[in-house]
Amino acid sequence: MKVFSFVNFHFKKNNDTKSRKIKLLFCGFLLIISFTMIGYRTISLASAKKVNLSKIAHKDFNSKTLEKTIRGNIFDRNNKILATTIDTSSLSINPQEILNKNETINKLIKIFPELNEEVLLKKLNNNKKHINLLREISPREYVKILNMGIEGLIIQTRQKRIYPNNNLASHILGGTDIDGNGIAGVEKNFEAQLQKGNHVTLSIHSGIQHITRKLLLNQIKKFEAEGGAGIIMNAKNGQVYASVSLPDYNANNYDLKLDKKLFNKATKGIYELGSTLKLITAAIAFESNLINENELFDVSKPLKVSSRIISDFHPLSFSINIPEVIVHSSNIGSAKMAEKFGSSIQLKYLKSLGLMDMLPLEIPELGRPQILTDKKVLTTMAISYGHSISITPMHLASATATIVNNGIKIDPTLITDKTKVQKRHVISKETSKKMKSIMRLVVSNQHGTAKKAEVPGYIVGGKTGTAEKIKPSGGYFKKQNIVAFTGAFPMNDPQFIITLMIDNPKGQQFSYGYRTAGWVVAPLVKKLVTRIAPILNIKPQSERSIEFSNNLLNYKIRGKNKGANL
Amino acid sequence: MIRYPSLLIIFVILFVAISLYQIKHFITKKEIELAQIKKNIDVAQSDLNILNAELTYLKRPDRIEKIAINKLGLREVLPTDIWDLKDLVNATDSLSNGEKK
Repeated sequence: MKVFSFVNFHFKKNNDTKSRKIKLLFCGFLLIISFTMIGYRTISLASAKKVNLSKIAHKDFNSKTLEKTIRGNIFDRNNKILATTIDTSSLSINPQEILNKNETINKLIKIFPELNEEVLLKKLNNNKKHINLLREISPREYVKILNMGIEGLIIQTRQKRIYPNNNLASHILGGTDIDGNGIAGVEKNFEAQLQKGNHVTLSIHSGIQHITRKLLLNQIKKFEAEGGAGIIMNAKNGQVYASVSLPDYNANNYDLKLDKKLFNKATKGIYELGSTLKLITAAIAFESNLINENELFDVSKPLKVSSRIISDFHPLSFSINIPEVIVHSSNIGSAKMAEKFGSSIQLKYLKSLGLMDMLPLEIPELGRPQILTDKKVLTTMAISYGHSISITPMHLASATATIVNNGIKIDPTLITDKTKVQKRHVISKETSKKMKSIMRLVVSNQHGTAKKAEVPGYIVGGKTGTAEKIKPSGGYFKKQNIVAFTGAFPMNDPQFIITLMIDNPKGQQFSYGYRTAGWVVAPLVKKLVTRIAPILNIKPQSERSIEFSNNLLNYKIRGKNKGANL
Repeated sequence: MIRYPSLLIIFVILFVAISLYQIKHFITKKEIELAQIKKNIDVAQSDLNILNAELTYLKRPDRIEKIAINKLGLREVLPTDIWDLKDLVNATDSLSNGEKK
């Protein structure tokens, strides 16, 4: 009790013990009360009350964002948004809380003229406590509602995945379901990363993608075709700048009912891409060391193998070498080359070029090649000019990149940070140089099948292909074609690959009834290169330059009259 | 007689109690402020997302192309429109040499 002894000083002279005790007790009681109050307040603020206050403060915050992390954005290679998530508001109503129904209806129709007065009245006369009115309202409409002060309205916030570029790269981006889970394309492939709120940057270039889509769409309309695919790829690292599949769809309206429009022709559709495969045949021929570029093949007569007759679209009356086989696109010459190197070597190179497997691309919509591997002579010959082998346009782009990239295997990729490039030589540098020279001649030579693809200054090279379309029931449509082009530019040091395919074009008056790749796809290549080369920082150059002549060989190509052309 | 140690103790106790109360009160206030700031950031972020999406929509390549062609009268860049600075210098040199001759 010494602690409380200081209160005694008033009573020191007074020896009344009773009074002292009472006063002491009173002071002690006061002190205990004070400390209890302070203690209670301190504890309540420090623990229980704090939680409550924090809860109140976080209430709105939590309900909007902390429940779920916002799905990451998808950007193109220049950090332009391809897919993003925004908060949208939905409008519901509780009819029980509405006092003046007519006034409410009038107010609502002022803000949302699309609402029907009768339907609204019916909804407001309902006995339910929650009726959905509009799934999405704009921020402006939201403010108007608040300003009007309409009673009984319920505004809820939810997240929505949007694709501001509509149709652009819709097949690559894919889509999400109503709960925001990726169900196709990049959205599905990078689901875990996006769900955690991490962004994905694609190798796609919005501008190049748009130009490719627009020009391809124009050509499809011009030739009344069913659809098509277009790919622009970096020849050095396989980064895909554009991947178009037509017809396409607005990515904001992804719906399985779209059916055919959802099908990705560039990466999932497999087609016999015809004579474009002759590039691979020629590369194998050089690489096998069994045939050199001066060896001649007699193409003057159609070739009869088993029950099948192999003939040329532009018959020649003399023997031709490998460059001439490719420039004239001779099926007979190609078949004879394949006969010489045989089935095993052919399949070995098709495998190493990645034409027998699915591509390691970062989307789920990938096609598995179909190749006849019975090793029969007829099959080997057919494969040599692009029959009995069905691949995706992306496979063809990848193989073209490998051929022109000094023979180093190129796998296509849709992301920019996949910097690891395999240094695996599939074909030699020498073969690659020969192939680049021949590809250039297909475009630059007057007998080449892709003359219409020539763009002065950009040194385009490639190969066209026209093949009959396969019937779903087997066999071929005689009057339906798949026309394609695969190539690169500038051919003296290829930077970009162009692979285009158009499905079932119809012959037009301006094309003199022709529907071959030379008429349908080659002019498209010209337009495309003219548009995209400046964006891709490819400078026009002269073929007379020393740099050019050092990088390409000069083969002599003879025409129908055997006259040699450079 | 006043016992100073006792007085000191009571003052210290009172001071600590009041300080503790003030600190806790201050912290709670700051936590509410923090939550409010976080909420504001979130709202701003949401607005920013919408604005970015709107900007991307306005800058979509097909729209820009239409504006470039219809409003600005631009056309595609042809290879002949692109000149290397060295070529221009050479061309100017040869032109001026020709004039001198």
